[in-house]
Amino acid sequence: MRPFRARLLLAGAAALLLAPVAGCATGDRVEPAALVTPAAASDTIVYGHQQEPPCVYGGWIEQAYLSGQILDNVVALDDDRRVVPWLAESWNVSPDGLTWTFTLRRGPTFSDGTPVDAAAVARNFDYWVDGGNATVKAWIGQYYDAARAVDDRTVAVRLTRPYPRFAENMTQPYFGIQSPRALDTRTAEQNCSAPVGSGPFVVERWNRGSDIALTRREDYDWAPADAEHTGPALVRRIDWQFITDPTARTAALRSGALDAMYDVQAFEWRNLAAEGFGLQRYVTGGRPQQISFNTERGPFTDQRVRQAFALSLDRRAAVEAVGKGVIPYDGNGPVSRSTPAYSEQAAARYGHDPAAAAALLDAAGWRPGPDGVRVKDGRPLEVVFPYAINRTINQDGAAIIQALQRQAESVGFRIRLVPYPPSAAAAGAYSGPGDYDLSIGYWTAANAGILHVNWRRDLPGSPNKANSAFYDDPALEDLILRANSEPDPARQAGLYRSAQRYIADRALSIGVYDRLSTLAVKPGLRGVRQEQSQGGPIFYDAHFA
Amino acid sequence: MTRTSPETAVPDAPVGDGPTARSGAAARRWAGRVGSAVIVVWGAATAAFLAQIAQPGDRATAVLNLRTGQVQERSPDELAPINAEYGFDRSAPGQYLDYLGGLLRGELGTSYQQHRPVWDVISEQIAPTLALSVTALVLAWVLMLAWVLLTAGRGRVAAGWGSAVDSFLASMPQYWLGVVLLLGFAYGLGLFPVVGGSGPVALVLPALTLALPLAGFLAQSTRTEFERVLEQPFVLSARLRGSGDLAVRLRHVLRHAAFAPLTLTGWALGATISGAVIVETVFTRRGIGRTLVSAVESQDLPIVTGIVVLTAVVYVVINLVLDALYPLIDPRVTP
Amino acid sequence: MTTTIETSPPETVPARRPAGRTAGAATLVLAVAGLAPWLLAPGDPDAIDLAATLRAPSAQHWFGTDEIGRDLYTRIVHGTGQSLTIGLGAAGVALVLAVLLALTATLTPRPVAAAADRVIDVLFAFPTLLLALLLVSVLSPSPRTLVFAVGVGVAPGYARMVRAQLLGVRDSPYVEAATALGHRRRRIVARHVLPNALRPLVAVFALSVGQCVVWASSLSFLGLGVAPPASEWGALLEAGRSYVTVAGWLVVLPGLAIVALAVTATAVGRVLATRLEPGE
Repeated sequence: MRPFRARLLLAGAAALLLAPVAGCATGDRVEPAALVTPAAASDTIVYGHQQEPPCVYGGWIEQAYLSGQILDNVVALDDDRRVVPWLAESWNVSPDGLTWTFTLRRGPTFSDGTPVDAAAVARNFDYWVDGGNATVKAWIGQYYDAARAVDDRTVAVRLTRPYPRFAENMTQPYFGIQSPRALDTRTAEQNCSAPVGSGPFVVERWNRGSDIALTRREDYDWAPADAEHTGPALVRRIDWQFITDPTARTAALRSGALDAMYDVQAFEWRNLAAEGFGLQRYVTGGRPQQISFNTERGPFTDQRVRQAFALSLDRRAAVEAVGKGVIPYDGNGPVSRSTPAYSEQAAARYGHDPAAAAALLDAAGWRPGPDGVRVKDGRPLEVVFPYAINRTINQDGAAIIQALQRQAESVGFRIRLVPYPPSAAAAGAYSGPGDYDLSIGYWTAANAGILHVNWRRDLPGSPNKANSAFYDDPALEDLILRANSEPDPARQAGLYRSAQRYIADRALSIGVYDRLSTLAVKPGLRGVRQEQSQGGPIFYDAHFA
Repeated sequence: MTRTSPETAVPDAPVGDGPTARSGAAARRWAGRVGSAVIVVWGAATAAFLAQIAQPGDRATAVLNLRTGQVQERSPDELAPINAEYGFDRSAPGQYLDYLGGLLRGELGTSYQQHRPVWDVISEQIAPTLALSVTALVLAWVLMLAWVLLTAGRGRVAAGWGSAVDSFLASMPQYWLGVVLLLGFAYGLGLFPVVGGSGPVALVLPALTLALPLAGFLAQSTRTEFERVLEQPFVLSARLRGSGDLAVRLRHVLRHAAFAPLTLTGWALGATISGAVIVETVFTRRGIGRTLVSAVESQDLPIVTGIVVLTAVVYVVINLVLDALYPLIDPRVTP
Repeated sequence: MTTTIETSPPETVPARRPAGRTAGAATLVLAVAGLAPWLLAPGDPDAIDLAATLRAPSAQHWFGTDEIGRDLYTRIVHGTGQSLTIGLGAAGVALVLAVLLALTATLTPRPVAAAADRVIDVLFAFPTLLLALLLVSVLSPSPRTLVFAVGVGVAPGYARMVRAQLLGVRDSPYVEAATALGHRRRRIVARHVLPNALRPLVAVFALSVGQCVVWASSLSFLGLGVAPPASEWGALLEAGRSYVTVAGWLVVLPGLAIVALAVTATAVGRVLATRLEPGE
């Protein structure tokens, strides 16, 4: 009797424990109702984002997405990639291309009550290049001379060299304007957790580890020219939640806990669409997920070995298998397909050709070794490939990299993958020429000016640690500098394309896939847009139907 | 051997002394306990400090990169203000003294990333973790008692199954259990919220994830003792006096058998921080555990150190409290 | 799991015979998988098939495939070696450290012994995962770091246990008698104290292997483990987590492998404990 009862209980416990296991082992997900119920009218948007930055404002894209809700820029980029007025109502460039004059609109105030005037904008320029924002500095550090307030509403920014796409770059949220009074009088902590801008929302409260509550400014009346409406934002609050785990984020959206979420997993794309969610995909401009070769040390100093590596990979197959048609393959290393002046020719430079790869390696003196790894002068063809897992590379990216590893090994490379945590990344690990043979990463941008950020030489007087190929070539730098300063758009695009071909011909870097910024939005929530310079969500026009 | 601190059980209590001598001895024992508690906290703080010093790479560079979101080398000009702000330019012993002095004043330092006092960061996150730990502990005890009462001393088959389930539960990795529970009951059946949440319903799965392995573990040590006590003559005599089975088990056996797991429980509460690290990550909950993981990931060492010191303090305080409680539960233990 | 390791290991329960036989069989399977995985799974664990990604378990792929079409069964079998090596290594580190600390704390002159005593107490105040995380943040993630971090994390619990054992034997009437008979201290320690105190450690070692595997996989799960494409079980689990809603097998099956190993190690530990118990 007793043993029987115990056994019954055990069976019950086991069933309880294994029920979910059995349920999922067959691979069937419990199908949600065919169509999700539309969001109920509410004055709060609950949005699930993937990473929690340490501060609202900074040089990291996750910060740009957040600070973009709180800070206004001088200019904005509309859906047709035209620079349109925001805090500035007009601007012009001097004939020598060296002085940009912005005329500010009347009326905007920061949320601390101070006016958005010319002095404030000029002060922000100095703040950025003095260390306030390293990303801004990477863009304008080589060009910026001084900014001064001509009068209350006129700012003159003086450059050292012509930079026709200066205003376009100023649309990136890193160029968000903060209240000088806040910068000067508040503590670092206050400016970190609740920067003071003139944007449609202000930080109400940051529950670290959970969410940031943003509330709208009732007196906001200076939206960018491409916005759908004027006046204050249409919803009262945004509950910006941080949910790192993509599975949990998706489940939260399905369960109705979220109204919108960021970063849809590739394999969920079609399911969510079928369930009735609105999906938005923005292919970020600038540099795609690009593998750059260490051209200073190791086997990849030899161009033939770099080319052999490129030819050994079936990048398209790897990306498409993991990306499920959502993540686009991009063969172009330096510039992504959504960037103006993208070179198709550079993108198509290397296909999948193992035989050609083998021939190049033979020619370079790397002979097949006993265990399948090629050898030269008694040294195996082993290369180190670190990547910042969960920071620049997500799980889909890690899967693609492992597929590439396998492909390269078939022609005789041995690849040591080193996924390193964000902590190591922060401490500057794996960033020097002695630390890797291959590196991978993206850099979002509005235009091909990214070439200058990534390929400018690293010189003692003006260091450039963003040159991840350690490629020191005055000819390439000169080509890019000429492109950056070329006022004629067609000729500028031609120069940018030549620079891409230059890089592709020498196999200094190869593209893998385009970085995406994706959103899934519940039906019933209208007007959520993606910002055009970096791809972050804009909630200013959003409202429940 | 399962006592939480070596000073707990003092079998050779002075015999035949007067009450004054006895209380003098007790005072000395307590002074010793408090003294070793202080040493434990100091040792933990020192270990945490050494970990900071041993950190690879330049700390000022790490701080600057954390703040800007960039990954690159830095020039001495950029680093100088950071070095001055955090005192990195001082000698290691000097930094150590500063650090200890700060601890004495109750300061845990300032977060590299958030520019805020570590104490603020911790106090903001401690409540959800405490709620989780305490719930899990209570749940573990309830589950463990029910299971042991049901299966111990009921013949070989029940006992075999009983202890098999104990080891199975105790062997389950918490993160795996958490993901499986989440998959079945939150994603699949939709019975529980999938992320965060603060209500009691949101606590169920995380608490269960912590509690099940803990229950298995507590059951392992209770079961042996329970089965031993069941054989004792006084149990038989209670049965002969006509007490029912459940009454005997609850009133007589359990009281004796529960002492061993009780000594573990004090420790377990302090140590649920390990579990919280996992559970809060899996369930996207706020709390000390997740704060710790992200601090370790981003090398925000003042936060890591703060949590280490805090854990040590919690540990010694709980043990001091338990030391005071044991004599009340078991008169054989000297205060 | 956390719990089991951080305290002294649970008192050993006499093993029941069928449990012993099952444990034996399971140990054999694990040993074969660890030493000669190709006998159980002849395929290449890293072979990819981009045309067959995230396939559910079937006759062709018993445990299904992962996001780049690798066969999960083959990967789990071939991952046994690394998971076991890490477990054995960490358990080894833990016990060596524990014995050294405990010996110092019990058998050396007073100031040294007292210091060692305090070291044990201080380390014990650190939750295992906290200690391991602290070490991983100082050393960079690698299998060696994993072994070391887990070993150090687990050691304090065992150090306390060994210390208690040593104290028990040192103060036993038997040793007191030997001292009274005028035997030299070193001889007593070597002849009586050590053998009696350390015998139970064989069983404890088996127990701790399972616990160390669980701990190591926890660190892997937090992304602080072994580099791909190695198929260490914790790493498999971590990689599978993003796909859990469409490919649950990627999480459930490696997890079951870890549980099976831990349960087996516990069972083996108990069998050894009964066998080694003097007078039983």
